[in-house]
Amino acid sequence: MQHGDAMNCDTMKSQVFPYVDGELPTELRNEMEGHLVECEACRRVVEQEFAFREAYITQLLPDPAPPQLRDKVNQLLAGLGQPAVLARRPWYKALLYTTAAVALLAVGVTLGLRLGALIERGNVLDDVAEASVEQHQKLIRGLMPPDIAGVSPKVAEDWFRHRVDFKVSLPDLKSSNVTLVGARMSHLAHAEVAAIDYQLDSHRVSLFIMPEEAYNQLGLSEKPRFKVLKRRGFDVVIWRHQATGYTLVSEIGSRACHVCHTPDEKFGGASLESFVRL
Amino acid sequence: MDKVSEFQAHIAGCLDSLHNYTLLLVRPPDDHEDLLQESLLRAFRGFDSYDPDLPFKAWVFGIIRNTHIDRHRRRKASPLEDPLNDAQSTSMLYSPLFSIPLAPEAILLRQETIEHVREGIRRLPILMREVVEFRDIEGLSYRTIATIIDRPIGTVMSRLYRGRNLLRTYLVDPRRQDGHATRGRHEL
Repeated sequence: MQHGDAMNCDTMKSQVFPYVDGELPTELRNEMEGHLVECEACRRVVEQEFAFREAYITQLLPDPAPPQLRDKVNQLLAGLGQPAVLARRPWYKALLYTTAAVALLAVGVTLGLRLGALIERGNVLDDVAEASVEQHQKLIRGLMPPDIAGVSPKVAEDWFRHRVDFKVSLPDLKSSNVTLVGARMSHLAHAEVAAIDYQLDSHRVSLFIMPEEAYNQLGLSEKPRFKVLKRRGFDVVIWRHQATGYTLVSEIGSRACHVCHTPDEKFGGASLESFVRL
Repeated sequence: MDKVSEFQAHIAGCLDSLHNYTLLLVRPPDDHEDLLQESLLRAFRGFDSYDPDLPFKAWVFGIIRNTHIDRHRRRKASPLEDPLNDAQSTSMLYSPLFSIPLAPEAILLRQETIEHVREGIRRLPILMREVVEFRDIEGLSYRTIATIIDRPIGTVMSRLYRGRNLLRTYLVDPRRQDGHATRGRHEL
């Protein structure tokens, strides 16, 4: 090692894998290569790493899929696009919860919206907010693809009805700039939850609906009824209405509520935005 | 090419890799085939949301991983338990012994077979094996691996570093079961 080098042998040791992998930023790579010119011992280490890679790593391949599995997958793929394969379960008549859902949510907002100064910041609340944001990110990145997509709220309600033992009520879409991207089962707060992925203009909004028992186990205080948090740049609203808990995640503040409520909807004579300040 | 044909072509190009990953997550006799099929159905349903900036197989790896976690949580009483976070993996990940860089000189001299190296990778604790296979077998970038496992790049680098060192320990001393590395002539 040369005294005064920006890179020393210890640093080189810690970076030898990223260097050989070609993952070092340019500046650090240049520093490392400058050090290697001067340091024979480190140069030998790097040469061995390249030799090891050449002898073994570049030869590694995934284990081949056995023929019988390949046949099964080919059969599955051949049936793609057919409703029976994708749905896997029969559809039932749609249920008419929508009107009730709108009314229930409206009552909940009217009675409970007191946001901003009364945010509860307990660990449980933080955990639920973090988990909600994480799931929202997975939904919008496509890492948690929807189980159903391109369906109406009523169809989604019905789909959940056969999969969860709590009521999932989804209001009709309020305007043409709101679409229900998809829905799926997910997990939050130690329970299975319904995850609904909306798009409002160009923004994605995730609504998670959990059973009362799971919400109760969080031990959240009743006030404020609407818990509003900002986590990792996302706006999170957590609340309970009657026998159901909800979390709503977006990057558009109170506008996210427009997936269920019209912008000009009034609650006790006041606008939605006057209650929801994120 | 329609959506179904495009999806089929993608899958055909990486089926070995997808099968390999399900075997990593679900050890026989558990039904890794069912995990693969459920994941493929989910992937097809979400194919419209696939971002081509991510390699296709990496995108499906992420779906397989999440499907596996979902299935595990459905079956277990504790839904927050992470099926990938077994005790062995966790304890070995944080063992200072595997922060010791091991030079591959002795392994090169032994002229190990490729199959011996592959078997050594299979013996790694799952969290290390996952990133080692993603990098060294699938050739994925650190950033892509971080996206799949939903962890920072630093975590990927740490697991890769320790996994590779543990692999070398196995190769130098094939009888080793507990992965306790020793300082010696292999240290840099």
